[in-house]
Amino acid sequence: MIDQQRYQLEKGVLCQEHFPENAYRFVGIGTPEPYLRIAAKSNSGKVYTLHIDLKEFPEQIPEVYITKMLKDYHGNNMDHPSASLHTLSSKNGWTRICHYGTNAWTPMVSLYRIYVKCRLWIEAYEAHLATGNNLDYYLIHAH
Amino acid sequence: MADIIYINHQDVINFAASTVEELDAYAYEWEGEGVVHIHLHPLKHSFGDLSKVSFSRASSVSTYEGDSRFVVLVATKENIASATLFERTSDGYSEKDYVYIPSQEDLYSRNEGLLELDILSKKKVIIVGLGSFGSQIAIELAKAGVGVFSLFDFDRVELHNLSRHTCNANELGRLKTDAIEDAILGKNPYATVKKYPVNINEHLYLLEKELKNADLMICATDNNASRYNISKALVRHKKIGIFGRAITRAEGGDVFRYRPGGPCYGCLIGADFLPPEEITNVESARGDGRIPAYVSAEDANAIVQVGLSSDIQPICNLMVKISLLELSRGLNSGINSLEDDLVYDCYIWANRREKNYKEWHPFFQAGKNRTVIRWYGVNVPRNEGCAICSHNVELDVSGVGGFKPQVDDLGDVTLEL
Repeated sequence: MIDQQRYQLEKGVLCQEHFPENAYRFVGIGTPEPYLRIAAKSNSGKVYTLHIDLKEFPEQIPEVYITKMLKDYHGNNMDHPSASLHTLSSKNGWTRICHYGTNAWTPMVSLYRIYVKCRLWIEAYEAHLATGNNLDYYLIHAH
Repeated sequence: MADIIYINHQDVINFAASTVEELDAYAYEWEGEGVVHIHLHPLKHSFGDLSKVSFSRASSVSTYEGDSRFVVLVATKENIASATLFERTSDGYSEKDYVYIPSQEDLYSRNEGLLELDILSKKKVIIVGLGSFGSQIAIELAKAGVGVFSLFDFDRVELHNLSRHTCNANELGRLKTDAIEDAILGKNPYATVKKYPVNINEHLYLLEKELKNADLMICATDNNASRYNISKALVRHKKIGIFGRAITRAEGGDVFRYRPGGPCYGCLIGADFLPPEEITNVESARGDGRIPAYVSAEDANAIVQVGLSSDIQPICNLMVKISLLELSRGLNSGINSLEDDLVYDCYIWANRREKNYKEWHPFFQAGKNRTVIRWYGVNVPRNEGCAICSHNVELDVSGVGGFKPQVDDLGDVTLEL
């Protein structure tokens, strides 16, 4: 579980990367259910909210969700594990993003870096909606 | 009639030191084999036929009035307890020869000169993970005389374990903590074993509590999340830890030793020179994402290709050697010379020239080139910014492929909470 020291570090990184204070919030730090909510705006100007579960962070890859159920190019819910769409099983009616593979994971990875990967996922998602190409047409698989 | 009879020597000593005149005891006989073991207390897991025994202070069996199959007459002379054994026959009780199951003092006398019993009998080792690695290591350490164990594993013995685990088919379904406790006590009946059938990632406080007075921790888990948690605990409590793992199909493996102040497991993984580890269990790998949810059941089963027990034994063996070296460091033992040999942080072993080792040279003409069936030592640089062991953590805040998103346009967004 994220501890105070790591929490302060992560907050410092977001500040250093010029995130406006209204764009993110750490919730439940020091409790068994800590998480981060952070906004992401795509190049097209669309805003998404990311929910990053910090229960087992940084020892384990955190679960990341978009706080709504996204639809794919065909209008289907993105609620199931899909290698081609880089998604995992949904929870709370939210689409879960596959952002890191276990072999690439280390506790050094910052929440900011996860955010960057999720922003790329969002760009790939919007390109998928526009073209019908699967996300893995744009994203390589991490291991 | 019994042909070979063993009496627990410690029981004779304890009975002689007590004030009771007579006690009922237990004789276990391997069916049809004529071999009997006599104990004052019932065994937790008994074998074979059970018959009644009496421990008595009577000076002669002729005064014994009970009906036990065996009578053990215990006498003390010049502070030394001795036993005379009788077995009931159709003609009454007749004296029998017996052999002692050694007392604690005698049990490891054969190790004298190499590892004295009193060096390790008070040493406490925590073993996290009792799979094919942890089970073997636990038993080897018990055989070497380690006297105090704390075992962590929430798993049960399953069919897929059997080919590499110390447990056998009769133990299917048992908690591994229970099964390995028995195995330890079978080798060292005087060991103390604490059992924690829990997932340490969810019960770190238990691990921390045990670690406070431990001498060493063995990390024999199968995933990095637990290794990072263990590593953090080792750093916090300034304790030595030995990590071991096999890579795919046990084509090779590695052993890492953490020493307080040195590089930790986080530094090792950050150094990025170890190949991906072996996946031995679909369920656990699904649970922690090593096999992503989108991988089909068929493909997942193809990923799980475990190696042979003989392929992981060299890795377990080195973990045991390093453990014994660390436990007896600074003490007068016969293995101290290894302190000059086992000086590296990490050791790498290859069983076969496959995948990660396919470029390595054949053993018979390798010369100074890297080859199989040989250990290689590596020193790992300490990462001064390591998230596990450093006070000055330097997180990875790099972009991905040069991409760093613009975020200053988020000033007008409303965050969903």
